[in-house]
Amino acid sequence: MPAFPTYGPQELDELNKVAGAVLGVFAARGYTRHEPAVLQPAQIFVDRSGEEIRRRTYELNDPSGHELCLRPDLTIPTCKWQVESGNPYPARLCYHGLAFRHESGDGQFYQAGAELLGLDDRGAGDIEIMALAVEAVRAGGVDKFDMIVGDLGLFATLVDALDVPAQWRGRLKRHFWRTGYFESLLARMVAGGDAQRAIGALRGLKLMELKPAIEKLIDGEGEAPLGGRTREEIIERLMIQACDTTAPRLDADVANMITGFLKVSGPGEAALEQIRELTKPMAADMVRPLAAMADRFAALKSLGVPPERVRFVAHFGRALEYYTGFVFEFWTRAGEVGGGGRYDTLLESLGAPRGTTAVGCAIRTERLIKARALA
Amino acid sequence: MSEPVTLAIPSKGRLKEQVDAYFAKAGVALKQAAGARGYRATVEGHADIDVMLLSSSEIAAALAGGDAHLGVTGEDLIREAAPVLEGRVALLKPLGFGFADVVVAVPRSWIDVSTMADLDDICAAYAHRHKKRLRIATKYAQLTRAFFAHAGISDYRIVPSAGATEGAPTAGTAEAIVDITTTGSTLKANGLKVLDDGVILKSQAQLAMSLAAEWDEAQRAAAAALVERLSAKIG
Repeated sequence: MPAFPTYGPQELDELNKVAGAVLGVFAARGYTRHEPAVLQPAQIFVDRSGEEIRRRTYELNDPSGHELCLRPDLTIPTCKWQVESGNPYPARLCYHGLAFRHESGDGQFYQAGAELLGLDDRGAGDIEIMALAVEAVRAGGVDKFDMIVGDLGLFATLVDALDVPAQWRGRLKRHFWRTGYFESLLARMVAGGDAQRAIGALRGLKLMELKPAIEKLIDGEGEAPLGGRTREEIIERLMIQACDTTAPRLDADVANMITGFLKVSGPGEAALEQIRELTKPMAADMVRPLAAMADRFAALKSLGVPPERVRFVAHFGRALEYYTGFVFEFWTRAGEVGGGGRYDTLLESLGAPRGTTAVGCAIRTERLIKARALA
Repeated sequence: MSEPVTLAIPSKGRLKEQVDAYFAKAGVALKQAAGARGYRATVEGHADIDVMLLSSSEIAAALAGGDAHLGVTGEDLIREAAPVLEGRVALLKPLGFGFADVVVAVPRSWIDVSTMADLDDICAAYAHRHKKRLRIATKYAQLTRAFFAHAGISDYRIVPSAGATEGAPTAGTAEAIVDITTTGSTLKANGLKVLDDGVILKSQAQLAMSLAAEWDEAQRAAAAALVERLSAKIG
């Protein structure tokens, strides 16, 4: 049960000051302030965030039966507004307001955020937002913080470069940040126990014979519903699996490399060196994302963030499901005070042109006040 | 004298018959209170126990919310009402009837799907291809979320279902379902199959105790006496 706090004059004054300082940083860098409605249609969050976020979202029905929710974040409605406004890209937007999530605490918290949408140069965008966030946290009165950084793109590049059956690539990418589950997934793949059963009936068939054979199998199930999938989807998936001539078994060395990669965690530069060493066989593929990460470390150094307080964690992915690349968080004695990252698929799903990029950050303003008090 | 202990038991259906038979076998006679339109009863020889007749899911909610001290209902409903049992409900005794499995079932025409790992692939591909999440119809939202999270699946959404869940894929209101099954014949009749590793819970009727309810010494003693009597005869 939330505590239903009432903010007194002193707290409001403090909050306004911190919010003003953070928003001031955003404004000085050309970010214009917007405030999406607190009440939002539930659908846009449900369709984009999955059940994990939905579980923590306050949903309600209005008397006419519309499914609404209290915004669990301001990123999605802000992005939606940008897409629907038809305004040009790149766009720089920022906000400060309450977000509502069913989790320990009050069920609501203030958040300031900035979104950089549609900047084609991803490297420049990552660094702009990261620097903006560092500046914002400092403007909020917190100079001492630890940073955790990661990059979902690094792992994706590694998997693409590995000799892995096509059907497993997506699986590995989707789950790499789920500690425990991922390890058991890898173990299953090495054991070869993850093969699809229906494939047995298709083994040895020529390419021409595959499709009719699969159709016959589907028809054999009689009047069963298709449940929203098309026959083509089912046929396509089985064709891909049947054509994958590599034995459906993951090479133990490859599994070891993946496990080794995910264990990498430590001060930025040293961690990158470890990854370079580990992934030597696919150095050509890894050189670009590794260089991008090195650029970020250099940028942090020039911002005066002590390198020993920046930790690279290979499996760091953020539980918010829409992140796709660079991710970072700021930690203090009061816990996490902010974070952000790249989420390149969100805008397209909201109707923006394919490939519209997005990177953003969010700062927990109330936590900054708490962190200042504890420092 | 302190307030009586409240015992919630099913008011109708097959489960009510089985509970009645269970109490009878233990030599514990339930007497429906006159004038209470069949929603109250007493236990012969246990004046300090007040019996409420409720629907199975109301019993689970009453145990989780502390509105009943003791209750008999399906473990599936108890776990759905109190996803974390700790501090809310203690399962005292599986009763050996009311067996049902809570399972993940998909259309049989999905010949490329036989495990949760397959379903995970399908969910991701579906979200990518159709720009919306694959829908799972169920009345077990909590159990489904926990099980899917454990299986690493996040690209889906739950469609609450009040009844006839097994018809949802045919009706087009969901792609797959989570529901209870005993023999599997209803699923089969609706063109569905259970995933190999898709059994979420093997459920049966449980005698359960609410930890959320207020208990005083006298109530504890009264409850212990009844539970002991039920256990002594049947074991």
